[in-house]
Amino acid sequence: MNLLEARHLNKQFGRVTALDDVSIGLRRHEILAIVGESGSGKTTLLNTLAGNITTDSGAVYYDRGEGLSPISALGELGLRRLQRAQWGFIQQDPRRALRLNVTAGGNIGERLMAGGAQHYGNIREVAAQWLAAVEIDPSRIDDYPKHFSGGMMQRLQIAATLVTEPELVFMDEPTGGLDVSVQARILDLIRSLVKRLGLAVVLVTHDIGVARLLADRLVVMRRGQIVETGLTDQVLDDPHHEYTQLLVSSVLPT
Amino acid sequence: MKGYNFAYLDEQTKRMIRRAILKAVAIPGHQIPFASREMPLPYGWGTGGIQVTSAIIGPDDVLKVIDQGADDTTNAVSIRGFFGRVAGVRTTTHTAEASVIQTRHRIPETLLRPDQILVYQVPQPEPLYKLEPSRAATRRRHALAEYGEMHVRLYEDITRFGRVATAYDHPVMVNQRYLMSPSPIPAFDNPKMHRMPALQLFGAGREKRIYAVPPYTDVRSLDFEDHPFHPGRAPHCCELCGSTTSYLDEIIIDDKGGKMFACSDTDYCESNRSDAA
Repeated sequence: MNLLEARHLNKQFGRVTALDDVSIGLRRHEILAIVGESGSGKTTLLNTLAGNITTDSGAVYYDRGEGLSPISALGELGLRRLQRAQWGFIQQDPRRALRLNVTAGGNIGERLMAGGAQHYGNIREVAAQWLAAVEIDPSRIDDYPKHFSGGMMQRLQIAATLVTEPELVFMDEPTGGLDVSVQARILDLIRSLVKRLGLAVVLVTHDIGVARLLADRLVVMRRGQIVETGLTDQVLDDPHHEYTQLLVSSVLPT
Repeated sequence: MKGYNFAYLDEQTKRMIRRAILKAVAIPGHQIPFASREMPLPYGWGTGGIQVTSAIIGPDDVLKVIDQGADDTTNAVSIRGFFGRVAGVRTTTHTAEASVIQTRHRIPETLLRPDQILVYQVPQPEPLYKLEPSRAATRRRHALAEYGEMHVRLYEDITRFGRVATAYDHPVMVNQRYLMSPSPIPAFDNPKMHRMPALQLFGAGREKRIYAVPPYTDVRSLDFEDHPFHPGRAPHCCELCGSTTSYLDEIIIDDKGGKMFACSDTDYCESNRSDAA
């Protein structure tokens, strides 16, 4: 039974085909990675699934506990409620998601307050717990993110997104732009949090290593089309499509 | 006055403003755009309030105008004089006698009645303005009732200063639906808006918006459960009338650092003094 499903998505940006008859499904508690080179349409697909952009044809379906229904039927208000409570979106650049002139506690509290939390003490307590959960010293709750390092900012964004305990999280290159040791730590953190909370994740990455580490299943995209899909190990160890073979063989040996 | 229509504005304009007012009353706290006119005074001096007053005032009305609570300041005297000339209406400085009260920055201390209308001059009608500069975006927030950001601001205030630092223009939730700027009245006056028997109209001339709070409507100041809204007041009594409950102005009286506290509502202060005498 799928939690999220996309059926026959098509999206055209002028003469460029970003999505060409794309259909995918995501089960509960599953991590699905979308890999492909730049311009292959993977971010467009992610934004479509997350309800941020609409397609020319096709639809995205989501199961809110009573079977799959199209998210377009929710209306803008219903979709926003979904996005700010049951869903989460982690951006590549935490500066785009966080308020840099608001304290770490305020950033984490925002989603709670948007959902109607009105008790200052409770919000603060939850924020402190989440800081600890993403390995930031809770004593930094009143510090501004602009004084945080890149890796800390990314961890803060993760805390600020997961604070409402969503069931589905979209991640757009969550470790892009970070140096390798920081990347490893973030990946570790994401892996343990996803396990602990039982999240379903749609992850966009161009880094095969990230996909191998995190994902249960893999979707390979090229020029707006899905060229190969399957279990991560299967696809990466025995790629069928020539493009996947190229992608796998172009990973630097470690 | 010859050469002018009653109450300065032409009838078509007044009709347009009344339509906006009706919409505003129908959706408490929601900002209605209107075609604000050039008025014979600069933006920021009360052009929005004057247009609303002009649209609702009739020959039998009695007008009171206050500026920071006072009847004798430039703005108040000029606007009162203006309507005295262009509408020929009776004006007063007594809150109880007035049927229309135009105000800047204060709500009178005397409780208002159902047959009175309070008209606010509003410089900035958008409560989210400092958080989100785009009007298209703020309209969307209002439509979706997404006001989490405002709470983030209050959260930040409490975190940094131990309390909410806005002493005036403290945002309110009207009828459990729309976030509204109460215009720059002191936080002290916010509770008076809640279930007020009088109709409250808000006019923002430069920003071209009208909004309203109908009589007996819920108006709640935004706060946290464990940090309840606190209407601030200077911990003194009025040195003229001795009131311990009214909102006070701190007035510098010499160049040696001397100062005194006195009621900001001059009519309230005077009537207190004449009652005592």
